[in-house]
Amino acid sequence: MTGRLRALAIVLGLAALLIATVLADAARRRAARDAEASHRLLVRVIRLPDLALSSSSRWLRHPSQAEPGAALADLPAGLDVDPAGALIGPPRAVLEAGRSR
Amino acid sequence: MRRQLALLDYAVGALGRRAGKSAALGAGLAFVVALFGAALLLTDAIRAEHERLVEEMPDLTVQRLVAGRPALIAESFADELRGLPAVRAVEPRVWGYYFFAALEANVTIVGTERADPALDAALAHGRLPREGAEVAIGEDLADHLGLRVGDAMGIPLDGDIVFSPVVGTFGGGSAIRSADLVVARPAHARRLLDVEEGWATDLAVDLTTEDEARVITRRITERLPGARVLERRLLRRTYELTFDARGGLLAFLLVPALAAFLLLAWERLSGLGDAERREIGILKAIGWATADVLAARVYESLVLSLTGAAVGIALAYAYVFWLGAPGLWGALLGWSNLRPALDLAPALDPLQALSLLGAVVVPFVAVGVVPAWRAATLDPDRAMRGAE
Repeated sequence: MTGRLRALAIVLGLAALLIATVLADAARRRAARDAEASHRLLVRVIRLPDLALSSSSRWLRHPSQAEPGAALADLPAGLDVDPAGALIGPPRAVLEAGRSR
Repeated sequence: MRRQLALLDYAVGALGRRAGKSAALGAGLAFVVALFGAALLLTDAIRAEHERLVEEMPDLTVQRLVAGRPALIAESFADELRGLPAVRAVEPRVWGYYFFAALEANVTIVGTERADPALDAALAHGRLPREGAEVAIGEDLADHLGLRVGDAMGIPLDGDIVFSPVVGTFGGGSAIRSADLVVARPAHARRLLDVEEGWATDLAVDLTTEDEARVITRRITERLPGARVLERRLLRRTYELTFDARGGLLAFLLVPALAAFLLLAWERLSGLGDAERREIGILKAIGWATADVLAARVYESLVLSLTGAAVGIALAYAYVFWLGAPGLWGALLGWSNLRPALDLAPALDPLQALSLLGAVVVPFVAVGVVPAWRAATLDPDRAMRGAE
């Protein structure tokens, strides 16, 4: 085997090692998550499985719960629930209006 | 085999001779794969996290609609449902949102009777509320309000402040579900949400077998006109659809980056330099077949693209799961004030990894081979003289 092929084998070996590291870390993290009891128990207590990804728009907080007249009107977890949500924030004054005095 | 090894050897030599160009293309490819990979890894992980605990939901959730809006449902209706066959348990739930002006964010208040000490393991610190105005809250909310177990949380209500002793905080791995959560006894949740005794937000129905869901749904809507029944089984599918669409959208936004990279690669590779053209001419003159020239070129592109793709995937993984996707995570969460840290378990889908490789590696190899094929089909004499 020539020096160049040896170098190639080393480079490809390192690339394979990178991927193997990623796969091993992913498997470790998944196993850790599956073994974590607190998460499952939390959902058992509150019985709402949704992720807390939006605390500012209540219709996105629980996509599993349809809310007629709001973005998730037609079905739970409906498509296009927040078409411009990633682009446009609400005017601050709107949030201020909900302030209790 | 020996022939292929010799071609591979030649290809590596050619890459080495154009080290600068090879490194630039490899880095560009790694960057594009990392961009795509990060979007795919993140959306896959969020979808997997959603699906992981859907089975803890009730089989059916019964809401009541009035004038097309969700309204409170009478607890007495739960007794009616308990009489239905295949219904194992019906639990009236009191939960809802409270706009916390100080945070400019909604918190989710959930009332629950569940206080079994075995369930205290759900919390990072303390225990579940067992009496009176006690509450257990999400760690992110506690951090924002500067609260710890043992403190009292002040909630403005009707011009007054209601103080609720914090007896526990949720956190750690469950932060992604509990960031904005306030768990209280049902009576206290009623007070905070202004829900009168005898009424509930919805009814959680558990069945003896999930297969009966459709039949029971029909019977419920017959008994309570205007009821909306959410089936867990259907939900699982809609989740899948939603996140597929979202993930696809995110990946779609990155298509211009891929196109730009391929255009660049095409420009770099199609403008074969005089030296490369002469090299191909010499190879042809000393007896290489066109297929050999092309094979050497394919090996060159494959070595470059596979190495670049491996580095790109590792970069994407490190960015999402080790660094917490700074920038991307914030963009996805939008303007939420209470936002959990990204703590997701990776869900690597081999099919998606393959399609990612297919979308990047195959076109890259193709744009490298076409100009070489054009040069290889030229007359060796003309190629050596640098003719087009």
